[in-house]
Amino acid sequence: MTIAQISRDAGEPLMAMRAIEKSYGPVVVLKGVDLILRPGEVHGLLGENGAGKSTLMRIVFGLAQPDRGTIELAGKGTVRIESPRHALSLGIGLVSQELSLVPQLDVAQNIFLGSTQALHAIPRPELKRKAAEILAELAPHIDCSASVGSLGMADRQLVEIARTLARGGEIIAFDEPTSSLTPTEQENLFKVIAKLREAGKGIIYISHRMSEIRAICDVITVLRDGQVIMTDRTDAHDTDTINSMITGRELSNATSRARHASQSAGPDLLSLDRLTTDRVKSISASVKAGEIFGLAGLVGSGRSALLRAIFGIDPIRSGHLKVAGREVTIKSPSDAIAQGVAYLPEDRRGQAVVPMMSIESNFGLVSLSRYSRFGFIDFARRRAAIRKLSAELSIKPRNIAVPLGHLSGGNQQKVIIARWLATNAKIYLFDEPTRGIDVGAKAEIYELLQRLAAEGAAVVVVSSELPELLYLADRIGIMEDGHLNTVIENSETLTEDRVMKLMTAGVAQ
Amino acid sequence: MTAKQLGQAQADGRAPINRAEVLRRASVLSGVVVLFVVFSSLSSTFYQPSNLLDILLQSSISAITAVAMTLVIMTKGIDLSVGSIAGLSSMVAADVATSAGVGLAIFAGLGVGLICGFLNGVMIAKLKLPDFIVTLGTLSIFRGAALIYTDGQPIYGLPPLFRDIFAGQLLGIPTPVLIAVGIALLGYVVVAFTGLGERIIATGGNEEAARLSGINIDAIKVTVYTISGALSSIAGFVLIARIGAAEPIGGQGFELQAIGSAVIGGASLFGGIGNPLGSLVGAVTLGALQNGLTLINVPSFWQFVASGAVVILAVLADRLTRKQR
Repeated sequence: MTIAQISRDAGEPLMAMRAIEKSYGPVVVLKGVDLILRPGEVHGLLGENGAGKSTLMRIVFGLAQPDRGTIELAGKGTVRIESPRHALSLGIGLVSQELSLVPQLDVAQNIFLGSTQALHAIPRPELKRKAAEILAELAPHIDCSASVGSLGMADRQLVEIARTLARGGEIIAFDEPTSSLTPTEQENLFKVIAKLREAGKGIIYISHRMSEIRAICDVITVLRDGQVIMTDRTDAHDTDTINSMITGRELSNATSRARHASQSAGPDLLSLDRLTTDRVKSISASVKAGEIFGLAGLVGSGRSALLRAIFGIDPIRSGHLKVAGREVTIKSPSDAIAQGVAYLPEDRRGQAVVPMMSIESNFGLVSLSRYSRFGFIDFARRRAAIRKLSAELSIKPRNIAVPLGHLSGGNQQKVIIARWLATNAKIYLFDEPTRGIDVGAKAEIYELLQRLAAEGAAVVVVSSELPELLYLADRIGIMEDGHLNTVIENSETLTEDRVMKLMTAGVAQ
Repeated sequence: MTAKQLGQAQADGRAPINRAEVLRRASVLSGVVVLFVVFSSLSSTFYQPSNLLDILLQSSISAITAVAMTLVIMTKGIDLSVGSIAGLSSMVAADVATSAGVGLAIFAGLGVGLICGFLNGVMIAKLKLPDFIVTLGTLSIFRGAALIYTDGQPIYGLPPLFRDIFAGQLLGIPTPVLIAVGIALLGYVVVAFTGLGERIIATGGNEEAARLSGINIDAIKVTVYTISGALSSIAGFVLIARIGAAEPIGGQGFELQAIGSAVIGGASLFGGIGNPLGSLVGAVTLGALQNGLTLINVPSFWQFVASGAVVILAVLADRLTRKQR
C-alpha cells in the first residue's frame, strides 16, 4: 500500500513534515524525511540507534531546527517550530528519553510545571486533584504529594508521561516511553494511548520492541541512516521483513549467535565478591578470559553503575575485587588502568572524546607514558602504533591530525577502542558500545569485541538492545534495582522475551 | 567541513583547519596590519626601528604573563591573580636583593610566586572552588600581603646586577625581550611536544574524558597554576628592574593584558586550545595598540577603554568561531 492510498483512507493530516534535512557538522542525520501524522493514528517510528528518530522528534518539539524542509500543521499552515515553548503552544507534546523533572518538587507540581498557568496561581488542593485525575489511569499507585526525588526510575518515567498528557495538545510524541516500565505499567500506558487515539489525537511512538509496535501502532515508518525506508500499515508486513528494513541486512535474526559459550573456558580474569557501592548491592560474579559477559537490565538498574565501580569511578563501599586471581584495590581510574582494565563509557561525547584534539592525541591519551621518553612524546613510535591499529580497525580518515570531533560516531568509537588496545588491557568494560553508531560500523565493533575475547581478554558488555547481547554474549547477567539477580548461559533457546521477563521480574511481583 | 573536504585534507596529508578557525586567524592578522598602517600614517615615529623595539620591550612583561595565562586557559581555567603575584614576589625579591644578594633574591622571589600559584591550584583543584573566585580573592590577598610587607613603602636601590639581568641588554637586544621569547618558546615546546602538554589540552578539552583516561586532573591544575605563579614573579622581576624600584602596587592590571594577549593569540576560553607563541604575538599586538595611541596623543584614560574593548572583541571572536555547531 502506498502513502497516497493511506491518505485516501484516513482524514486530513494533523502534521505533515516534508523533505526534512538536518546535519550536525559533517554528520548528515536526516536526508529528506517525510512524515505524515493523521488524527486518531498511532504512528510507530522505527530504526536503529543513529537512524535519526530522536533528531526528528527534537525537530517536532522545537529543540532543533531543520536545515531544509517544511512542517505543516492542521489549521496553522507551514510553521517553524522555534522552541519547546512554541511547540507546546502549537499543541505538540514530547515524552523524551531524558527525563526533565525537578526532583525537589512533588509529583503534582512537576505534572503542572510549565503548563499555561503559573504554579502558584493554582490552589494546592486543586493542583493535587487534577494531578490525581491524570494519574488515575496511568499510574494509580503514585502519590501526588511525594517528592519526585524519592521515586524510582519507572515512576519518574510515568510522571514525565503524565506531565505531557496534562499539557494537552493534538500531537503527542513518545520517545521510548517503556524503557524502564514493568509489563503492568506498560499496559496502563497503552490504555491511555488508546484513549488518546479515540479522542482523535495524533501519536508518534518510538520503540525498539517489535511486540509493542505490533500492539499499538496503526502505521509505521522505518528510518535508516536518515532516510525513510517505508511508511505503511503495521499489519501489512511481518516482523522479519520489518527487521531487515531496519537493519538493511537480510533477516538478521534476533536469535542468531556469534558463537557458543563452551568455546571459551579460560581462568577467571575478573572476580567480584559482594561488591557494593551506593548504586549496586552485593554483586558477586566472575568473568573468564576469552568470555563475553553481557549485562542486561532496565535503565537505572545498576548496569552502568557496576562498570563505574569496577573502573574506580564510583567509590566501593564494601566487597572485594580480584584481577587474575589477585585481590586488588581500585580507587580511581588510574588504579584500574594499572590493573589492565579498560572502560568505554556510554556517553562517548561527554566522557571519552576530546573533540578538538587530533585523532593521534586522543588515541594516545591513556598510553602517554608508554609513548614518552623523559616527558617528551615519541611521535614516531606512537604514529607507527596508531597507523597499525587504524588499518586493523579500518578507521576512516587516514590523516591522524584531524580533530576527533569531526569524525562520525562509529569512527570515534573505533579510535576510543584503539586508545585502549594500545594499553594492552586484559579486561574490557563496554557500556553501550554501539549507541549512535551506524549499521556498518556496528558490525565491525561486534567483530572487534569477539576478537578481543578470542585473544584472551575478559569482555563485559552493557547493552539495552537485547538482540545485541543475545548475539555477542556467552553469559548474560540480569540486573535489577542494583542487584545482579540471575546469570544465564546464552544458547539458541534463550529468547528476547525470556530475558525481558527476567529483567522486570522483581518489579512485577 | 564536509566529508569531501575532509577526504581531500587526508589525501594531501595536511591537518584540516575549519573555516571558522581560518577566519579567526585572518581577522587577527588583518587587525595587526590595519593597526600598523593606521598608526604609521598618523605618526612618523611609529614605524621607526627604535619605536618598534620599544614596543617589543613594553610588551615583554605582558608576554610573560600571557604564556602563563595561556597554560591556565587551556585547562579551562583563569588566573586573575597574576598581577598581585608579580607585585608581591617582586617586593620580596627587591628586599632580599638589597639586603642579601641577587642570587638569593631571584630564588626567594620565584619561591613566593610558586607558593602563591600552588595555593591557587590547591584551592581550585582540591577544594573544588571556582577558579574565577579563588583568583579574584587571591588577587586581593596577595596585593594586601605586598602592602603589609613594607607597610606600603616602595623599595629603592636595586643592585645593578639585578637590573642588568632583567632590564639590560645582550648583543644589543633588551633582556626582557629575550626572556619573553625564551619563555614563549619553552611554553610552546611543552604544549606541542610533551606529555604534560597533551594532559593540559585534554583536561581543558574534556575533563571527564581526561579523568577516565587515568590523567590526574588535580595534579595538572595545580601544576599550571604553580607555573603561572612562577612566571608571574619573573614578570614582576622585569617590572622592578626596568623601574629601578619595587612598589607594592606594581603589576596592577596585568591580568587583563595577559588574558587579552592569550585570547588574541588563539587561546580559547572554552578550554583545550592555546598556543604560547600566538600569545606572544597577541601581547605585541596589544603593546603596539597602546604605543600607537600614546604617539597620537590619545589621553591615557581612553587607552584603558581601548584595551578593554579589544580584549572583549577578541573573546567575542573566540565565542563566535569556537562554539559554532
